[in-house]
Amino acid sequence: MTAPDAQLDVELRHRVVEAMTTVLKRLVGHEGPITEDLDMADGLGVSSSMGLELLLEVEEQVGIQIDVEKMRPDELRTVGELATFITGHSRPW
Amino acid sequence: MTALDAVSVYTPAFRVPLEDLAEPLGLTDIQVRLFRRFHGLDRIRFDPDRSLGELLRAAVDGLTALRGREDRVRYVVHGRAMPVVAPYPHNPLHDLCRELGLGHALAFTVTQQSCASGLLAVELAGRLLAADPTEGALALVLTGEKAFTRDAQLLPGTSLFGEGSAACLVSADGPRDRLLSYACAQRGEFDAEFGEQSERFQREYRSSLAEVMRRAVAEAGLALDDIRLVLPHNVNVVTWQRLCLLMDFPVQRVLLSNVPDHGHLFCADAFANHRTATEGGLLREGDHYLVATVGAGAGATFSAMVFQH
Repeated sequence: MTAPDAQLDVELRHRVVEAMTTVLKRLVGHEGPITEDLDMADGLGVSSSMGLELLLEVEEQVGIQIDVEKMRPDELRTVGELATFITGHSRPW
Repeated sequence: MTALDAVSVYTPAFRVPLEDLAEPLGLTDIQVRLFRRFHGLDRIRFDPDRSLGELLRAAVDGLTALRGREDRVRYVVHGRAMPVVAPYPHNPLHDLCRELGLGHALAFTVTQQSCASGLLAVELAGRLLAADPTEGALALVLTGEKAFTRDAQLLPGTSLFGEGSAACLVSADGPRDRLLSYACAQRGEFDAEFGEQSERFQREYRSSLAEVMRRAVAEAGLALDDIRLVLPHNVNVVTWQRLCLLMDFPVQRVLLSNVPDHGHLFCADAFANHRTATEGGLLREGDHYLVATVGAGAGATFSAMVFQH
């Protein structure tokens, strides 16, 4: 489940997307632009273990702790969906 | 009905902090941080002074229910993940049986289901006893092994193995803990050992384990809500958090407290968690609990058992 967009911290979400983009480019060696509608598994080849590395790096870069207990990876397929989840389910580190 | 008459567990006091394993195992800084942050690992148990036979012996020494009943033990089954643990012709299991006065028992090892071989050993012991005409026949199921190579210590991106052992006295019709069901799925296509299909294995891991857990619960004539506690394999915390979301089962009812304190003790996790549950008063008489594990190697096995305490 992702939090309703109306409650999202837009500025935080922007920082999350920026961090995700940086990390994903390095993790998967993606040449083109990383857009929010990209499917992380099928479009970028992100595996489960890479997904955890992505979360860890985003936590450290943005200074947040993500509530991974509530994360349903099967329902968070795209870059944008994961960014929205992280924004709605994290607290300052 | 197969029953665990008594369970004894040995976990060494010596523990190595995760960070101290980085250099010998060749772990990068990010791998260490991932293990700590998401996998919930902290310290891993090892017993550098004990051989495999001594490790198993330590668990049997605590099995007071065995004393004076050695002559009734017809089978000794070692459930183990690693196929080879001693050079031929040494056989630590047979040596141990002789030491314990169990030289008369049929003793053998099962490794075919990797870390799920401990549950297989319990199931096999129950089947052998059910078919055995000897009144009061018992079986001794042993688990535990040495993490003596890098490959035996590290499951990359997933877990770190530690050392510990367990000994269970199994009967065909004891009053506790009675085995109500056993569900097992052997998936040869997930050949983690040779790297084939590893992506698909990762993707289908949770749903495959959920399937056998649900099947075991259904075959026990129960619903998931009837399960007081899940005794997991200690592979890591995040896998169980996500599995619980998938199954709509509260993660608070999965005993994960030994993950940071033990590491993954191969086939002995279920029994170490059983000890924690019983000593901590987490299981009351009559409670149903579910044991679940995955063995990965040359193919994968997902298995689950439901017991009544």
